[in-house]
Amino acid sequence: MALSRRHAMNFIAIMILLFFTAFFFVPIIWLFLAPTKTDGQLLTESPFAFGSLSTLAHTFHRIVTYSDDSVLIWLKNSAIYSFGGTALAILAAIPAGYALALTHFIGRRLLLAITLVVMIMPATALVLPLFLEINKLGLYGTIWALILPFGFFPFGVYLTYIYFSATIPKDLLAAARIDGAGEWRVFWHIALPLARPIVALVGFFAFVASWNNFFLPFVMTYDSSQYPIQIGLQQLIGSTASFNPANYSAGSSIVVLHRPDLAMAVIIAIAPVLLVFLFAQRSLVTGMLAGATKE
Amino acid sequence: MAIVTFDEATRTYPNSDQPAVDRLSLEVRDGEFLVLVGPSGCGKTTTLRMLAGLENVDEGEILIDGKSVVNLAPRDRDIAMVFQNYALYPHMSVAQNMGFALRMAKVPKSEIEERVRAAAKILDIEDYLERKPRQLSGGQRQRVAMGRAIVRQPRVFLMDEPLSNLDAKLRVATRAEIAALQRNLGVTTVYVTHDQVEAMTMGDRVAVMKDGVLQQCDTPQTLYDEPANVFVAGFIGSPSMNLLEGTVADGGVRLGSTTVLAAADLRVPAGTAVTVGVRPESLAITSGGGGIPATVSMVEELGSEAFVHARLADGVEPAVKGEDTIVARFEPRTAPAAGELIHLGVKNGAMQLFDASSGARIVAGS
Repeated sequence: MALSRRHAMNFIAIMILLFFTAFFFVPIIWLFLAPTKTDGQLLTESPFAFGSLSTLAHTFHRIVTYSDDSVLIWLKNSAIYSFGGTALAILAAIPAGYALALTHFIGRRLLLAITLVVMIMPATALVLPLFLEINKLGLYGTIWALILPFGFFPFGVYLTYIYFSATIPKDLLAAARIDGAGEWRVFWHIALPLARPIVALVGFFAFVASWNNFFLPFVMTYDSSQYPIQIGLQQLIGSTASFNPANYSAGSSIVVLHRPDLAMAVIIAIAPVLLVFLFAQRSLVTGMLAGATKE
Repeated sequence: MAIVTFDEATRTYPNSDQPAVDRLSLEVRDGEFLVLVGPSGCGKTTTLRMLAGLENVDEGEILIDGKSVVNLAPRDRDIAMVFQNYALYPHMSVAQNMGFALRMAKVPKSEIEERVRAAAKILDIEDYLERKPRQLSGGQRQRVAMGRAIVRQPRVFLMDEPLSNLDAKLRVATRAEIAALQRNLGVTTVYVTHDQVEAMTMGDRVAVMKDGVLQQCDTPQTLYDEPANVFVAGFIGSPSMNLLEGTVADGGVRLGSTTVLAAADLRVPAGTAVTVGVRPESLAITSGGGGIPATVSMVEELGSEAFVHARLADGVEPAVKGEDTIVARFEPRTAPAAGELIHLGVKNGAMQLFDASSGARIVAGS
């Protein structure tokens, strides 16, 4: 009796899990299959049907060369903004988190509290004041308008703070100080080499935040040649026939895009984030600290 | 080589009104091995960290070779420290760990290598120089931590319970090694431990601390024979000294209904309340009546000796309420059985008297 009841509970649990797995995976599978089909096939064939590799190659070629290689330019822009922003975020967040966790100075607790508060604030709320500031500084339209704002990354500061306060024994830093290292060298020779996992993590989050950012570049750029891929995607939607039937009547000479092209563009847009994730994941190895101290 | 002087050095932690170290005055002689010992929270580690520069000195002075170091950063004090948990740099090899201080001091690479090798040879860790700390056993890590200190040839060694993470057997062996190494190198050393056996076996002198206050600083033998107060008497020696409530009587001390005769003139008026301290080895069963009555509750037969734990009887009161067990040492296989009522006499009147209220030792005349 008890056994069969447990079986029933297990069955229900598995059913619920299967439902949600399907619910979230179906759109992703659909997205990855869409570029292998033509716009027509997309409507007539099963959602899970695989079109053909030649269609996929064709779609890829079409989207990459669309409008004088616009997609490639946007990707390049995204890469510049994201790598620049990430570098700046790491440069600012790691030392800040270290200082908050392991040093003593007046106002430390206040700064920590402020970090937490601004972390909760949506980044979008700051876009307008940032725009006005960047404009006053004469940086509007330059890449700095999209890189400088990422020097402010309270989430990264907080992650670093947690990491340093939880994993680095204070005696390790004391040992280095006694061994003759000044504060800067304690950080550079001891703390930083041990912080590789958190540098990778903060870097990854900063990269994703910058790469996926829409509103900031939307405000800070004015020309298609400056767009990052996220803004570009939006422009592509505007060029997709099925979403704008009024603009693209049959027989028009303008090169139009179709839904499989758009799906391909989305895949191209997320691929770098996947790559960066795989790269960062390797650095997220733990156990760097094993053997430092015996607790 | 250096002389370390604490002059009324005081440290009070923020949010605390009780000083962790209270007006400590102490001189560590050149080349001396001084052990700071006491129960946890007595201020011994704080004292060490004040000397290292890891803890502020709120009042008073700490001098090395007559010069105040209170305002010097740790790196400017020319000291080396061995931490309880070793604090080895996990991302560096053993050789890099040992050479780190020299690298910071911009010593040429070839000389660093030479000195690391020499230190590794002394400690017998030459085979592990390229390994990372996590690939070493506890004992090996401890040696590397020692090596990191001796490579520097500092003025003073500081050691904060360096043996507490080793197993019992290794601890005994390493204890002797560290003591011998220190004597060979002749570097002034301050060593912190909570283990009185370590303190007694390693130190040229031992400083006993309690609640941030220095109780007594002397050679191990003097601490044992002439403890300055009840605390030192109870802390030094294992098993501890028996402490009983007594009243001075003519020619001896009255304990309950019996009188124990003193070896010398007590120079204390009869009727004075005192605390009587008797070491376990000074107790023996009396043959001809008298003695402290007690009922044997447990016998620890250790092979080379036996300790008898017996419950005090007949109105003999312990100095610490509730600790009504007296411990006596016996030759092996001569101990009475549990349950037996015995009468313990004090051999040759070898007892210590302490003021019942202040706890200070009362020096008897000869």
